[in-house]
Amino acid sequence: MNKERNIGFQPVRPAGFQPAASFSRMKVFSGENLCWAHRLKAYVLARVLLFAAIATTFIAADWKIAEPGWRYEFPRDHHAHREFKTEWWYFTGNLFDADGHRFGYELTFFRHGIQRAADRDPNASRFIVDDLKFAHFAITDVGGQQFRFEQKTSRGAFGEAGFDDRQRLAWIDNWSLTSKSDGIFELTASGAAGAIHLDLRPAKPAVVHGENGVSVKGTGGASASHYYSIPRLETTGSLTVNGKTCALRGESWFDHEWSSSQLAKGQVGWDWFCLQWEDGAELMLYRMRLENGQRDSSSSGTWIAPDGTATHLRATDFQATPIASWKSKATAAEYPIGWRIVLPAQGLDFTIKAALEDQELKLGPITYWEGAIDANGRRDGKEIKARGYLELTGYAGQFGATLRAGR
Amino acid sequence: MLRYLRRHPLLGLLNILSVALGVAVYLATQIANHSANRAFAASVDLVAGKAELEITAPAGHLPETILPKVATAPGVSAATPLVQGFVSLRDFPGDYLEILGIDVFTNGLFRTFDPSNFDARGFDIQRWLGNPGSIAVSEEFVRQHGLKAGDKIRARVGGTNRELEIGFLLQKDETFDPHFTAMDIGWAQELFGRRGELSVIQLKLLNPREREITITALRQFLPKDVRVASPARRTEEVDKMLGGFQLNLTMMSLVSVLVGMFLIYNTVTASVVRRQHEIGILRSLGVTRSEIRNLFLGEAIVLGAIGSFLGLIGGLVLARVLVGAVSATISSLYVLVSVRGITLQPLSFALAWMIGIGSVILSAWFPAHAAARQDPVAALHGGARLERSVNPSFAWLISGALCIFLAAVFSWLALSIGPRWLSFGAAFFVLAGFSFLVPRVMFHFSKATGNLLRRLRPRRRRSNIENALAAANLSRALLRNSVTVAALAIAVAMTVGVSVMVFSFRKTVEAWINNTLIADLFVTPASNAVAGVSSFFPAPALAFLSNHPAVETIDTFRQVELPMGDTDISAAVIRGGEQRRLQFLRGDRRELMRRFHDEPCLFASESFASRHHLREGDLVELTTPDGPQAFAVAALFYDYTSDQGYVYLSAKNFARFWHDDRINSVAIYLKANHGADEVTKAFRSEFSREGQFAIFSNQSLRRRVFEIFDQTFAVTHVLMAIALFVAITGIFLSLTILITERQRELAILRAIGASAGQIRKILLSETAMLGALAAVVGTVSGICLSVVLTGVINRAFFGWTIHLAFPWQTLALTPIWILAAAIIAGVIPAWRASRMVLADNLRNE
Repeated sequence: MNKERNIGFQPVRPAGFQPAASFSRMKVFSGENLCWAHRLKAYVLARVLLFAAIATTFIAADWKIAEPGWRYEFPRDHHAHREFKTEWWYFTGNLFDADGHRFGYELTFFRHGIQRAADRDPNASRFIVDDLKFAHFAITDVGGQQFRFEQKTSRGAFGEAGFDDRQRLAWIDNWSLTSKSDGIFELTASGAAGAIHLDLRPAKPAVVHGENGVSVKGTGGASASHYYSIPRLETTGSLTVNGKTCALRGESWFDHEWSSSQLAKGQVGWDWFCLQWEDGAELMLYRMRLENGQRDSSSSGTWIAPDGTATHLRATDFQATPIASWKSKATAAEYPIGWRIVLPAQGLDFTIKAALEDQELKLGPITYWEGAIDANGRRDGKEIKARGYLELTGYAGQFGATLRAGR
Repeated sequence: MLRYLRRHPLLGLLNILSVALGVAVYLATQIANHSANRAFAASVDLVAGKAELEITAPAGHLPETILPKVATAPGVSAATPLVQGFVSLRDFPGDYLEILGIDVFTNGLFRTFDPSNFDARGFDIQRWLGNPGSIAVSEEFVRQHGLKAGDKIRARVGGTNRELEIGFLLQKDETFDPHFTAMDIGWAQELFGRRGELSVIQLKLLNPREREITITALRQFLPKDVRVASPARRTEEVDKMLGGFQLNLTMMSLVSVLVGMFLIYNTVTASVVRRQHEIGILRSLGVTRSEIRNLFLGEAIVLGAIGSFLGLIGGLVLARVLVGAVSATISSLYVLVSVRGITLQPLSFALAWMIGIGSVILSAWFPAHAAARQDPVAALHGGARLERSVNPSFAWLISGALCIFLAAVFSWLALSIGPRWLSFGAAFFVLAGFSFLVPRVMFHFSKATGNLLRRLRPRRRRSNIENALAAANLSRALLRNSVTVAALAIAVAMTVGVSVMVFSFRKTVEAWINNTLIADLFVTPASNAVAGVSSFFPAPALAFLSNHPAVETIDTFRQVELPMGDTDISAAVIRGGEQRRLQFLRGDRRELMRRFHDEPCLFASESFASRHHLREGDLVELTTPDGPQAFAVAALFYDYTSDQGYVYLSAKNFARFWHDDRINSVAIYLKANHGADEVTKAFRSEFSREGQFAIFSNQSLRRRVFEIFDQTFAVTHVLMAIALFVAITGIFLSLTILITERQRELAILRAIGASAGQIRKILLSETAMLGALAAVVGTVSGICLSVVLTGVINRAFFGWTIHLAFPWQTLALTPIWILAAAIIAGVIPAWRASRMVLADNLRNE
């Protein structure tokens, strides 16, 4: 890995990231590789979660609003923030087995508040839920050209799902995220998509996005989120695909965000990138698309130098141009899975290519693409490489339509 | 043949009509029964969805904590919990909702409906899970009550008023009962005050063939009294429970068919008589006997086919009338069922058609056979008569006696050995027996009247020759007249029999209620009065009533279904504070009540005991949450509220063995000098300001009991009215036949000097005699039939003790109006006969 110049810690500028992320996390799976039962369940959930997402539009008061001045403290802030309506723990990573075979994975836990825990009658029915709990799990077998995904959701009436018990930050059945005392995260999941059991050791400190501890969206100022990432975690563990288990090693990215805020108007979807450069730097970019096809000015990003200092990137600080696309046979959606991205201030000019074309999560009402990518380019004239993850939403017709209808 | 029909269209028409009515009544009854069963099955299916097994507990006391273990039990692929309950609706009096609390997270694999937002675009899970009163209702419900999204409706449940919000629509491929609604299971538990409890756990299996293994595995850890069974089981049980009631309806509907058969016999006989000459010619021309028989049979079958076809159409129309009455009865007596329309079953149509044709063939066979056996020469000569014997043969008398004897045998068999349906055989033989006796009765009547008139004649100035002739005529066409009388007599007998039975039943119930319904006030959560007992009585309200200074004592009431072996039985849990309430068949009240409280024993209702063949001292094994427990039958008591019967358990025992002390309603006995109003007012202002409770005074409850009682017999009355209509039509028909057949004879009478008025007088007096005979025979056999109905059929099917009582007024009036009806029916034929053209009818002479 290259040694890069550190830019030093800087608050990241206001961004419209939160709603985008919120939508990106409300997704449902109905892969053909799942059995019919799962598909049926997925169908039901698709509707369930779609409206959880849309309901975000109408959030009433009572929930705490993300406000400037939040003092991040770890490991405290790894835990759940139940006074906020929406929260997620989001892991993606690129891993390799002993023979160099590459795998991508995604494991995400979502909490979507229904009622505040404080409002709960302590004697009320255990079936009354305080929050929606759901999780996504996907494995990309780059060598095997296979992409599998699965979703779980649970009422959690009997503790089979929840957030923040003594050890686990989040869990649903046998999918769990555990925070250990030595700062290591443990991820476990198994299901139709395969199985993972991973230990993740932060290689860098957490980076807070936004300004003054909040990622403010829009001019109103009321809508905002608290958002941080651990941009690089050394990852070891095992992965099972097609009944074969192998030991793996690689790097992961962890996002944690919580908020109670509203969506911006006129947005139809977004393109989200995270890249881990060989030289130890990381880049997160987020590009929100409007109904009229334009890029929203709240699009933003963060450049993280190898030493952990972060530079906030405004929409004007980078140009992202699609250069390749892939059309899904199943949904007829056309995804820009190849990009050219230029960050003049960082002297960066690179292209992005998907590790596998079909990393589409095929669903009833909401279909999106999320998968492992490679980046190749130059920084200050020097060749540079990165691996990361790309998320593309709002390309499958219904998503945008439903989204707009929801408003 | 067709030519004949064209010449006598009335005969053919009446023939068709009698078949049609019988078929229609039978079919309508079948459709009504089937529709009620299907409606119930549909409501079970709606709840059960695609579940392969269901776990239920008596009294709905299924602890929710077993759910995770059930879901992960070997062989179980999916499990989902349900909480069910009823609410009544304040804004729509008398209407109710059945609310199904579902878990959208786990029941996707099970349910056959989908809750959706009102615009049918998606599903707002947040509101579903977060809004306490949000329910999903059918579009039909919304339409019926003119509701829209977000409307609030006021519901009553468990003695409280709650507000529900029309939040979602229920989407389903086919239409369904609009009472059906769904909401989140968590809020359903809150709404029904059932925290910690489930109504049902539904299961899907990994391998349906290993269901027994799965059931065994589940039983290892489930409470002992829960039931693991397929959802279809509930439907089967209800079908079985309704079986007796519906069989009774079917049998009653067949009476119309039976009456119709007599009429068809009559018409075919008439046509044989009329066409003797034709038969003679045909036979002379070489037509064989069997061809003659087939000719008449064929004619009857054509008419029967047309009649049956019309009957099918009529049945469809009539079914719409009957289905309401049938479902009302089923709902008040057995199980809440909401029949929204009729459900058709090809099989019942085929069966009704076959019964129509079959009855025609059977009743036409004998006259057709007789026609075939006629000697061609005699037939051509015109002198032959079908009724050759003027004296009734002894065979009839013996057959009659034999039938009545058989009725007794069948009664005995039905009551002692079974099967129960033999009791219908007894009823049939009573009717048949009296029918066989009709010829002899008529013969003697004819002779006696003749003698009487002869003896009277000398003393009178005016001749009474018309009446004498009429009396003589009766025995001349003895057989056919007998059939007419028998048909009418059967209808009369059924009317009389059922009237006596209903009257006796009502009197018995009245007496029973006077003895048992003695509390001054009855209070229950309002929803219980609308949608069946499902809500619990809140403890504070109970305490308030118990402590009220005007209250002498309180009895509590809880209705539960408890498992006994493989079946569920109804049990009423009572405190039994007021001892006069129960009417025991035998035993010392004081001692029995002591045992009731202190020992593991129960009281069984009379119908329960007869259904399960129990006597005092027998042991009944009921399954409690801790396992089976034997209860001694301490006593039997009279009860007329349920044909399935039930048992009384003391609240003390129920709390001890079932760990449950919730109650559904209370009966309040006041101290002397205190009025019911005083307590009612106090209670109302404290707990029932908005009518959360239904409060019945002694009188209003009595009134309600009898409303239900009368409703129960509504169907019976409809069927009886139809049978009677068939019979009256029959008189008209028979007289028409009688006259057409005797045109020649009447013409001779005219020719030898009888005036048209005298002819009319002869005929009318004949009709009156027929009517009178039918009325007398019908009333007598009706009284015998009522004995069979109350003492045999009722005992065999329902096990109630009914003290026979006679509605004298009705009984006295019956012969009078039957006579009047007969005379009226005879007016037109008699008038026609008096105006006939002599020459035409005398041509043959």
